[in-house]
Amino acid sequence: MQSKIQLNQTQKRHNQWLDNTIKYLLMGFAILSSSFIFIIAGVIMVKGVTPFITNNGGLGRVNLADFLTGTTWLIGESFNSNLYAIGFLIISTLFIAFLSLLISFPVGVLTALFIAKIAPKKLAETLRTVVEMLASIPSIIYGLFGAGIILKIVYDLSTLIGFQSKGGNSILSSVLVLAIMTIPTIASISEVAIRSVDKSIEHGSLALGASKTQTHFKVVLTSAKSGIFTSAILGIGRVLGEATAVSLVAGGRRSGINFNILDTTSTLTTMMLEGMKETTGLDYDIRFSVGIVLMVVILITNFTLNYIKRKVGNVDVK
Amino acid sequence: MRKILAVLALALSFSLAACTSGSSFDDSKNITVYTRDTTSGTRAGFMDGIGFAAAATSDDVLVEGFVIKDNTGIMTSMGTDEYGIGYVSLSSLNNTIKGLSYEGVAPTVANVLNNTYGLKRPFMWMTRDAGDYESTEIEQLVNAFVAFLGTSDAADIINNNGAIALDTTVTWDSIKAQHPITARNNANVTVRFGGSDSIQKVAQALTQAFSAKAGNFVAEHDHTGSGDAYKRTQTIGLSDPVSKHVAFASRYFKDTEKVGVAESAMGQLAWDAIVAIVHKNNPITNITAAQLKAIYDGTYSKWSDVVSE
Repeated sequence: MQSKIQLNQTQKRHNQWLDNTIKYLLMGFAILSSSFIFIIAGVIMVKGVTPFITNNGGLGRVNLADFLTGTTWLIGESFNSNLYAIGFLIISTLFIAFLSLLISFPVGVLTALFIAKIAPKKLAETLRTVVEMLASIPSIIYGLFGAGIILKIVYDLSTLIGFQSKGGNSILSSVLVLAIMTIPTIASISEVAIRSVDKSIEHGSLALGASKTQTHFKVVLTSAKSGIFTSAILGIGRVLGEATAVSLVAGGRRSGINFNILDTTSTLTTMMLEGMKETTGLDYDIRFSVGIVLMVVILITNFTLNYIKRKVGNVDVK
Repeated sequence: MRKILAVLALALSFSLAACTSGSSFDDSKNITVYTRDTTSGTRAGFMDGIGFAAAATSDDVLVEGFVIKDNTGIMTSMGTDEYGIGYVSLSSLNNTIKGLSYEGVAPTVANVLNNTYGLKRPFMWMTRDAGDYESTEIEQLVNAFVAFLGTSDAADIINNNGAIALDTTVTWDSIKAQHPITARNNANVTVRFGGSDSIQKVAQALTQAFSAKAGNFVAEHDHTGSGDAYKRTQTIGLSDPVSKHVAFASRYFKDTEKVGVAESAMGQLAWDAIVAIVHKNNPITNITAAQLKAIYDGTYSKWSDVVSE
């Protein structure tokens, strides 16, 4: 008996020790993974603020107000000038994001509705796989597709309507590439939202004599609107952050705000990417500043959209 | 189904439209100017070559509305844009686009080597003065490396990395006996290479191949620009860690850089040629430096301006 109690106690102590070890080990992992955000933000902040507070190796400080409002990326020689400005890039980035969402949102949501509610089971399975595969294609592939196919189509299209586009490098091409990229994101998240709509709401609608299509559009979609809105937020996040694909089709505009969808453009991300590997000094650091601005733009956009989402409200969803 | 058909019909009509408009070149159209970004070595070589050096690192002297693309981007754009003009390194040239003759000379490797094709830049090397090394091993290795640069073994590596090697028939096997140092084990010897970053890729491939032939010496690469080739081999003492034993420049050495440098301590290893390219439908086959400058600074805005010359 005595020995049995003792054994139990050792067992207990051992278990406690194991529990604690695992607890602290996992806590360590959790702290490590969550601290990356601070490390990344810290590095970007330090690098990105440098151009505004130091002398930049004799070039002088970059003026923050001019930087945020100007309409020419760089006046003067690279490496010998501090007159950087990105005001026009902020506007064109938001403009492109808005336009591409205008295409990808309806297409994505309606695809989701079809997969979730209308398609026969076999077809739905196939389509879901296709959409998921589309979501996992690397963005550079979308970029190459854009450079090889979309640029040609846009170039020929502009010729048809009598506009000489610059080899198809344009807002329209960027918007098309980005729209194709975001459709799978929007479709797969919307589909989950549509599926989770309570069956009883649907049945109620059908029982009242509404047709299937009426039910789908007026009941299912409105009930799932919160989840659908989330898909739009994630979609716009992808659009704002995409660099490689856009830089292949945007044309690299260096100055001026442009709303002509057949003319060249640039976004915050493409400007950061261009010439990155061969640059040094201020020209390198200023790309981190653009990065900060990009993060702020994304944050503001997300907060706004989340605010609208709360206003839109929620209906009884499982 | 109807949607798919509509999309197919639309795509078909676009490709048909492309076919019909492809046959005639309308020279009253605007020229679309393509360029690399300001950090590109090819851009610097091109702009210097056509006498528009100010545009090498500055965008605001260029024509309004130019398009910035990388090397592949310019190639694919010239396949699409009938009215575009761009430039690439000769090694990228292929038959999907049209490479223009420069000042009447066709862009071929032979014309670059016989010095008739003008839009090119030399890849040069410079070493330290004789006796100005930490040890005789390093000096002998550097001399062996310079000898290696003139062999057909090195020429193959240079050509494979996008530059044009000088004509040579000497093989490394035939001269390696003159450099007994390469038969030793040199794993503890470090040779420092530097200079032009445009040549970095070629230089690294060369040292990698040569190290295996020369007792596995360690090649340290730190490429900071052509200007540093002279500075770091000639004016900076060996005690400074940034000093180099061999350095490269992607241009001829300036007269001020040649003062006091022995003839044997510098030379050329390769050429890099740049070609102005246009769409295949473009009727022009030749372009001059003056025309290119006029296009890139915006004096000529329509193709008729170029054709009428």
